Amino acid sequence: MSRLTIQGLSKAFGDVVAVHQVNLDVAEGEFVSLLGPSGCGKTTTLRCVAGLETPTTGRICFGDRDVTRLPPEKRLIGMVFQSYALFPHMTVAQNIGFGLDVRGVHGSEATRRIADVVEIVQLSGLDARYPRELSGGQQQRVALARALVIEPAMLLLDEPLANLDARLREEMRFFIRSLQQRLGITTLYVTHDQSESMIMSNRVVVMFGGCIHQIGSAEDIYHRPATREVATFIGQANLIPGRVVEARDGTATIDTGLGRFRCGTRRAVDVGSAVTAVVWPEALRLTNGSDRSDLSGRVVARHFLGNLVDYRIALADGTIISIHALSGGAAPTGEAVSVQVDSDKAWLLP
Amino acid sequence: MRRWLLALPALLMVVVFVVIPYLNIVVMSFRTPSATAIHGPGFTIANYARALTDSLYLGLLADTLLYALATTSISLVLAFPVAFHLARTESRWRGLLYAGVLSPLLTGVVIRCFGWIILLANDGLVNQGLGLFGLGPYRFINGVGVTIALVHVFLPFMILPIMNAIQSVDPHLAEAARTLGASGRHTFFHVTLPLAVPGIQSGVVLVFVLSASAYIIPMLLGGGRVQTLPTVVVQQLMGGLLWPFGATLALILSLTALAIIGVFAALTRPSMQRVR
Repeated sequence: MSRLTIQGLSKAFGDVVAVHQVNLDVAEGEFVSLLGPSGCGKTTTLRCVAGLETPTTGRICFGDRDVTRLPPEKRLIGMVFQSYALFPHMTVAQNIGFGLDVRGVHGSEATRRIADVVEIVQLSGLDARYPRELSGGQQQRVALARALVIEPAMLLLDEPLANLDARLREEMRFFIRSLQQRLGITTLYVTHDQSESMIMSNRVVVMFGGCIHQIGSAEDIYHRPATREVATFIGQANLIPGRVVEARDGTATIDTGLGRFRCGTRRAVDVGSAVTAVVWPEALRLTNGSDRSDLSGRVVARHFLGNLVDYRIALADGTIISIHALSGGAAPTGEAVSVQVDSDKAWLLP
Repeated sequence: MRRWLLALPALLMVVVFVVIPYLNIVVMSFRTPSATAIHGPGFTIANYARALTDSLYLGLLADTLLYALATTSISLVLAFPVAFHLARTESRWRGLLYAGVLSPLLTGVVIRCFGWIILLANDGLVNQGLGLFGLGPYRFINGVGVTIALVHVFLPFMILPIMNAIQSVDPHLAEAARTLGASGRHTFFHVTLPLAVPGIQSGVVLVFVLSASAYIIPMLLGGGRVQTLPTVVVQQLMGGLLWPFGATLALILSLTALAIIGVFAALTRPSMQRVR
């Protein structure tokens, strides 16, 4: 197990800069995910840590050991690929034993360690099968076992759940997370699925266009997004422009098309300056229109999400906002409704 | 039933142009020779007795197979890096490289042989070049020239199937092997190479059969010093008008090549099954 330090990492392919000046520390035993849309540089960052790409500039250290120039086979990492990359010409046992075999671990010692790791990933009885004879979920477990059996200093996962169906994906999220906690292994996890990254990680790193936009806990990223991109990527944020009318420590009251409400903020803002507030769909309420500050609008679309209903509401000025309300009180499409913002649940973008 | 009908045109082609001519050759090989006609009256096994006991013909068979084996081995070694590069490269020159690989197939074999003769002749370009370093001149218009030309002409038949095989392998497999601690060399021999076996198998079979049955190349580049079974068969047919004996020699070559391919297929069978 070791700490991971990435300093000033950049990677260019020809003229295309895939990763730009990435700095990241992952503590021993921490689970950190790299989150972002495809092409944001998260996979390239992971591949640099694995040694599958050579950084253009920057340094990567495992603990105190500088591994920047080391080939992947010298790094002692366990990596799981999106395609699982199981060797099709080897059985499950041979696949898992591959890393032991190249390290000169053979015979009863190898058998014991393979059996141990097979037990850990709950995959007994499939040793003699070939990868093509396994289901997607089983292949996933083989890939995990193969990565873990060498007792790596770090676990690197590149969208490992992307090819699984929804139910299995859910199950594997918790499985991988609890496995990681049990083994206490430092883990870097690449995904484009925000809920996956929020459920699984200690900290989430959000990347766009090769740069890190924010590093923080799931709550941080969700409630206090650092940039407009983060806010819109994480969920259906309503971005509401407005003007500051009162600023105090950590809060600001702003005037917007949705009325006047208070927002949290991390920076000092001047009264009168133009700002953008992030208002989450669940911070908005449909009301009966009794309060004077309520806004009127019209339901233009309504999506049933199970426990919630997602309404798209057109306001008088044409702005479309989205609101999540608990299922129950139903407002059909086309109905006139009133909307109220919950004060203090909004956040000012810097 | 209907699916079987779709195969009918191909089946018809095979029967008319492969099975019937082959049966004809088989019958011919049991005919008696004649000085005035294509064959004499009645049937005999004397042709086979002669071909299989005369050390001249057995030696020719061995030479032919040796040329085929040398050509196949050299092609395999030369083809693999090219196939690997072509399969994996994202270079914009890929199309050009691909055309380069196919180029030996773009002109007739006779033209290409004359090209090699010009290059390899005693006062040809190659010897002139070697002369600059005080070497030679060497005689290339012999078995050496034949092998060079065979390799040149049949190389695409080795490169293309291997390239296809490598293309169908997930590039992440080699990377996964590296992350698990395998060196580049270990990865090549335990992951990349075993997975390319289907392509290697087709390439080897194609090049072996093509070079064992080559006629024009040994004729032209051997400079009269190289005799293989195909050249002797043609001599029997055209020169001696000995159709029955020519047919016998042709069949012996075909059957031997078939047997060798059978053994090769049996040997590579376990690794093929693992890949499938």
